[in-house]
Amino acid sequence: MNRQSQGGGGSNPPVIGFGPGGQRRGPGGPMGARLNAEKPKHAARTVKRLLSYIGRSRWLLAALLCIMVTVTVAELTGPYFQAEAIDAFYIDEATGALRVELSSLKRSLIAMGCMFALAAVLSFVQTLLAARLSQQTVYTMRNDLFRKISKLPIQYTDTHNHGDLMSRMTNDVENVSNAVSQSVTTLCSCLLTIVGALSMMLYYSWQMTLIALLTIPLSITVTSKLARFMRKYFVAQQKLLGSLNGQVEETVTAYPTVVSYGKEADAVARFGATSEQLRDCAVKAKVWGSVMGPIMNFLGNLQYVLIAATGGWMVYARVGGITVGSIQAMLQYSKNFTRPINQVANQYSSILTALAGAERIFEIMDSPSEIDEGRRTVNVEELRGHVEFKNLQFGYVPEKRVLQGLELTVAPGQKIAIVGATGSGKTTVVNLLTRFYEVDGGEITVDGINVTELPKSTLRRAIAIVLQDTVLFSDTIRNNICYGHPDATHEQVVAAAEAAGARKFIERLPDGYETVLAESGSNLSQGQRQLLAIARAVLADPKILILDEATSNVDTRTEMRIQRAMQRLMENRTSLIIAHRLSTIRDSDRIVVIRDGRVAESGKHEELLALNGEYAKLYNSQFAGEVT
Amino acid sequence: MKKLFRYLRPYSGYAVISPLLMIGEVTADLCLPFLMSYIVDYGILETGLSDIAGSGFAEWFMRLIWGGGYTQLHIVGTFGVLMLLITLVGGVFGTLCAYTAAKAAQGFGNDLRRDAYSRVMSLSIEQTDRFTTGSLVTRMTNDIAMIVDFIEMLLRMFVRSPMFFVGGTVMLLLLEVRFGVVLLCSLPVLLLSLALVLRRAIPMYAVVQKRLDRVNTVVQENVTGARVVKAYVCEDYESGRFEAANGALRDVNYRVLRLMAVIPPVLTVVQNLSVIAVILIGGNRVASGIDGMTVGTVMAAVTYVTQVVSSIMMVTMMFQSISRAAASAKRVTEVLETHPVILGGKENAPVAPVAISMRGVGFRYPGTNGDPILRDVSLEVKKGETLAIIGATGCGKTTLVNLIPRFYDATEGSILIDGVNIRDYDLGTLRKKIGYVMQKSRLFSDTVANNLRWGDPNANSEQLRHAAEVAQAHEFISRMPDGYDNYVAEKGASLSGGQKQRLSIARALVRRPEILILDDSTSALDLATESKLRRALREALRETTVILIAQRIASVKEADRIAVMENGTVIACAPHEELMKTCPTYVEICNSQLRAGEEKGGAAV
Repeated sequence: MNRQSQGGGGSNPPVIGFGPGGQRRGPGGPMGARLNAEKPKHAARTVKRLLSYIGRSRWLLAALLCIMVTVTVAELTGPYFQAEAIDAFYIDEATGALRVELSSLKRSLIAMGCMFALAAVLSFVQTLLAARLSQQTVYTMRNDLFRKISKLPIQYTDTHNHGDLMSRMTNDVENVSNAVSQSVTTLCSCLLTIVGALSMMLYYSWQMTLIALLTIPLSITVTSKLARFMRKYFVAQQKLLGSLNGQVEETVTAYPTVVSYGKEADAVARFGATSEQLRDCAVKAKVWGSVMGPIMNFLGNLQYVLIAATGGWMVYARVGGITVGSIQAMLQYSKNFTRPINQVANQYSSILTALAGAERIFEIMDSPSEIDEGRRTVNVEELRGHVEFKNLQFGYVPEKRVLQGLELTVAPGQKIAIVGATGSGKTTVVNLLTRFYEVDGGEITVDGINVTELPKSTLRRAIAIVLQDTVLFSDTIRNNICYGHPDATHEQVVAAAEAAGARKFIERLPDGYETVLAESGSNLSQGQRQLLAIARAVLADPKILILDEATSNVDTRTEMRIQRAMQRLMENRTSLIIAHRLSTIRDSDRIVVIRDGRVAESGKHEELLALNGEYAKLYNSQFAGEVT
Repeated sequence: MKKLFRYLRPYSGYAVISPLLMIGEVTADLCLPFLMSYIVDYGILETGLSDIAGSGFAEWFMRLIWGGGYTQLHIVGTFGVLMLLITLVGGVFGTLCAYTAAKAAQGFGNDLRRDAYSRVMSLSIEQTDRFTTGSLVTRMTNDIAMIVDFIEMLLRMFVRSPMFFVGGTVMLLLLEVRFGVVLLCSLPVLLLSLALVLRRAIPMYAVVQKRLDRVNTVVQENVTGARVVKAYVCEDYESGRFEAANGALRDVNYRVLRLMAVIPPVLTVVQNLSVIAVILIGGNRVASGIDGMTVGTVMAAVTYVTQVVSSIMMVTMMFQSISRAAASAKRVTEVLETHPVILGGKENAPVAPVAISMRGVGFRYPGTNGDPILRDVSLEVKKGETLAIIGATGCGKTTLVNLIPRFYDATEGSILIDGVNIRDYDLGTLRKKIGYVMQKSRLFSDTVANNLRWGDPNANSEQLRHAAEVAQAHEFISRMPDGYDNYVAEKGASLSGGQKQRLSIARALVRRPEILILDDSTSALDLATESKLRRALREALRETTVILIAQRIASVKEADRIAVMENGTVIACAPHEELMKTCPTYVEICNSQLRAGEEKGGAAV
């Protein structure tokens, strides 16, 4: 829809003309924007908040409004001087021939020219200011939103659709800023024009003004009726487009499946049917949309004729000192009066869209940030990494407890492997230790200090995580390795790469450490990405290390390399390994089996096998291929 | 762009009529200022009808209607009604024009969309991969919508503006030749400044897009990588990165807007100076007592000048949309001009004892150099046999099985199924023989039952249930609120990875394929479920030839034979025990997974 409203956006060049309305109809139909308006839920409250937001650029906005008032007034004088110019022509009573008072004609034309030159210069400044205002608003709003997003608890990003977040960041912010810089000013200038035009009309003749106003209610009812009618088709059209989108997306992402089941023809048939519906719907929407133009044209011309007839009669009957020039001025002002009404209606819809967008933005801004009540100052270097989980209670949703009284103590430098079936709560333990999520009951302590007493930044600096799904950033390899330690020296970076076994492949790359990774590191292999993540953890030099062990994504040999790197990384650190495969954890100091949210068994590999319980069962099923 | 115009051919009737109707509308619009000048001159000013040259039509018309006795008010009324009538006629023309244009453009769009999509659905997998999903979605929807809008505008506006330009100029010259001088001066100024601005602004839009992409990338990374950002306490660092990207976007946006801000004032100035010039010329003509110049004429001339200048403006706006539509057209044409590289043969139902035999198969992705992905692979799989394939990632396991249903074609050697080269098969027949469960299982937004019926549209609920039971899916399906009629959300988002894998195995089983390919399709299952599934599969698939790709030794060791792949070729193919004795690579893989568990594994054999 934005595409359509572009034609109408921006400041409107003042157009003077003697003709009826309708010549400047843009592409896309005059009603494009009005039809897709969403409804904001709490308009008043949102407006108030938005105003406080705009308050930051209040001087810019004030300057903008001042200029806008001047431009509008200057433009409103146009018809006045034109009337004067036309009244310079007169019929010689004696001969009946047309004469002209050239000097007064020139005077009014010069006045007119000056006013328009002033209007042009000022409207240029106005556009510049509006551009600055909108760009500055977008900029600050995006920055604020981004900062907010980075402060949101992990729970938020875990439970919200990422595409939706992205769209708030781009589309909604854009809509809000357009509304601020364009709709608000256009709205003000429209209102001012309406008031100004109306008073000028009254100044010339109240009789003609009354006649001119006759068509206004008519045009308002007709357009709003028609708009409501068209809305139906536009909404349907939007829906059908969305459905086509979905069909293409689904069949293309799953194309191998579609092909191997020979479902291509079915997909095409389904697509074709929707496409035809869209065609029929679009034709109706377009036709009804295009009816609006002629109707407005007709009403405009009706107004023209009514004013001309009344004026003609008044000149003829010598009522109220009406001149030809003043009829011309009336015609112009009446157009100035009606045109903004339509514009206001269009702005109204984009303002509604913007408000709905602002609500979505504020919704994020209002979501509670991560709690960080920790005040205790602790030197990270002095932490030893003694971790204790006491009677841990936790559930992602209230109905379903994941952890129910988990107890676990990890001594400094100890290597603990946590195993358990999918969904048993292995990863949850990590989420709680790093305080991505908050415990429902019980407590976690590091060196005897409850983690809630530590500032999150201190706590997290003490911990490093290597995740299953490697996260890298579209930045240089160097910046990815010294992530979190931007002041690391080159030697430190190289040493970290070396320790992770990544040095060789990095130095073979044409740009070495300065190689810029493609989005999410997609120009590296899975294994290389993992090695980089390990190098990053090495440089972070954490007290506590958490390894969420990779599953079957990497081949055995690369995995052995990664294993070796991880072994080195774990030396002299408290390490928690979330194990998916049992073969790699036999060297751990202790293996903890979690079941039903509690520690079911714990001990060394051999001890647990001898116990012949949960662990033995898991182990056997993995290696013998049978559940014993 | 040109190539797409043939899609307009079925609608050429509409496409021809539409501009003609537009001519009607513009003509009506162009008549109006003339009528208005009559109203002003003869109705309001007290100019006698016969006093002025050029009043012939007005006088004739009034006489025709009223005979001799009419007053000035009659004149206003008559021409006013005539104006309204012409407006109505113009409106009818305009609406019909919109209707025909919409018919042509939307019909065009529908045909194009359908063709483009069925082309996509006929492409080979490597070709759709190369396009990427996102780009295909945009091409099918946004790009085509862009072209449709353009066609519609072409039929309406591209006729309208030049008509206004030409018509307005002609009318203006008809009124008074000297008015032409105004246009001669103002148009070059307008065109030149527009050209200067647009030539600098248009390339900047690409920069805007690039910087916007950068902003999106940073947000995307932070949302998906939130855990890492937080774990490394890098919120501030990331905010800095974002602010840099955001600031760069703001700056280029502001530069574009600043450039474009020149246009409206230039237009205002040119338009209004032209109007002033016209009034001045008119005034001078009246002052020098030249006949035929009236107030009405000046007013009409002002309207025409305004129309001509705005038509130029409109044309420039259209040029911007041409470049956009051309880019879209190029992207759509690219799809239409891609021809499927894999085409089927005619063979339908051969019979032979050997299910699959590969002879010296080699493969490299089209257009790539360097080492081939597969080289000299020769394998035979007997009917009912289970062949497992094991090897490092990237050694070509998935690529090898992808050759069997002809997702890709082998670049060397040949593959035979039931003794017939797969290239000789009808593609549908070939693929119907094969049930292929992929690494990434895809489900569709439909009910569970309908998803399973992809395997066989005619399967009854008994068969669905049986397949689900074998795939260890029945239990969780029946725990869903609506059981088999439960709706699967888009891309199976409502299901866990393991559930999706089991459903796609069930789907393949519903098909009762002759050959079942399982490509690492149990990786998300926990160990107990996986082993139950393996046992059930063995029971159910006695007749079926199975090819099984896996990472875990435990998953493959009971296969009839195990093919060990390394660097794109099969280095050994034998049962587990034999490989343990003869194949060092296999032993190495085993050891890395089992280590001390070896004696355990040995005991199980």
